[in-house]
Amino acid sequence: MDANKIAEIIIAEIRETVPELAGQTITEADSMADLGVDSIERSEVILAVMEQLGLKIPMVQLHGPRNIGELADLLHAKSAG
Amino acid sequence: MRIGISGIGVACGAGHGKAAFSEALFETPDLFSYLGREGREPAEGDTPFIGVEMPEPPAILPPRIARTVGLSARAAVSVLSEAWQEAGLDHVDPERIGLVVGGSNLMSRERELALGEYAGRLSYVPPRHGHMFQDTDICGVCATVFPIRGFAVTVGAASASGAVAVIQAVDAIRSGRVDVCIALGALQDLSAHDLQALRAMGAMGSSRFANSPSKACRPMDADRDGFIYGEASAALVISRTDRVNSPKLYGSVLGTGIFNDGTRGPEPNSDGQARAAGKALAEAGLTAAGIDYVNGHATGTPAGDTEELETYRMLELQNAHINATKSIFGHGLSASGAIEVAAVLMQMEEGRLHPTRNLDHPLDPAVNWVGPRAANHAIRHALKFSFGFGGVNTALVLGVPGSGKQSK
Repeated sequence: MDANKIAEIIIAEIRETVPELAGQTITEADSMADLGVDSIERSEVILAVMEQLGLKIPMVQLHGPRNIGELADLLHAKSAG
Repeated sequence: MRIGISGIGVACGAGHGKAAFSEALFETPDLFSYLGREGREPAEGDTPFIGVEMPEPPAILPPRIARTVGLSARAAVSVLSEAWQEAGLDHVDPERIGLVVGGSNLMSRERELALGEYAGRLSYVPPRHGHMFQDTDICGVCATVFPIRGFAVTVGAASASGAVAVIQAVDAIRSGRVDVCIALGALQDLSAHDLQALRAMGAMGSSRFANSPSKACRPMDADRDGFIYGEASAALVISRTDRVNSPKLYGSVLGTGIFNDGTRGPEPNSDGQARAAGKALAEAGLTAAGIDYVNGHATGTPAGDTEELETYRMLELQNAHINATKSIFGHGLSASGAIEVAAVLMQMEEGRLHPTRNLDHPLDPAVNWVGPRAANHAIRHALKFSFGFGGVNTALVLGVPGSGKQSK
């Protein structure tokens, strides 16, 4: 699965977790915090994506990405590794 | 200091809101059937559990919060919203408003469903599960949606939880901590495991009436065979009427009593019940002779009803009108004390007493029961009993608006 596909999954999970974002465009350049996704919701989104990717890594290893695209790249690298 | 009840919100098997509650209270439609909510399936080959389930609460919460809370919290927000608006609490300083949620282990059905859903994939449990199944999450949700900033806590007292929430709310006002305190009897969302355990214990009925749900709930009747569960929730806005101007006043809280028997299990005890009533009456400046209406705890368990009748005799309450709200809506467990106070106040307002369903052969015919038909009666002073497992005995004395002495 490439990083673009992972970004799509992340965006779908954000929409599931925060129904209030319906109708709003979400791109890889957006950060979850800027979209108003709170910290617990961010963890929920990331866990749900990890499950779909079959990944099991500590959350602490996922700090750093500044937007959805960077998070998708990091998850892609982890799943490839 | 005068303390009164200035807002009521209710949810029960008859629907959401006071209109549905009041109509069912006096018309007593048959609300009982087999429990069908996911997570309440009986053991294989066993008869289904009998009880009352409520319709889906109105969608008050934003979808983002609604998807992360269970039925108990959705019902709590619904009843709180109705009571809040009626009492006009938007005009009260949020720091002078408190919330006491009555009940514990409120979300066991939803938690069991979640345990099943994440069995074998524990690594992916949503972090929100770390707080969403705690009873205090109901406080958090309520205080997020409504400006309650005095305090928000839960109290547990088994089936007396709703009544103890009222007592704690009154104490918080008496102590000066707040001017308004909402007592909320929370919906105790039972799972199949809970239901099976209560059935095994012999506290919950239905074996005798497995084929006729409408007859199963029969408190104070010679043929009762245990309590029958009913989903319920109620919010009561209790306020210091000399400080807070309320558009509406249902009645006064004149006295409260709570005593413990020192027993762990379900055993009821007349002595503790009478002591609780004695303290509530003394606070109200009344004797039992001044009580003209009793709303019983009246679970419909064989031992519970017998012992409660003994309490009526000890206090010589036989001349007061007595009925059993659980006969209509089932036993709301943690919510029952609160929703039954709501029933008392609505009868006070209507000048009528609600019927007692299925009271075909009263355990004691000498008691002045309200039978199958509603009766006209202007309540002056009501006594409300609530008891819980673990030896909890409570009594409340409620009076018509403005009644009672002014306590210090």
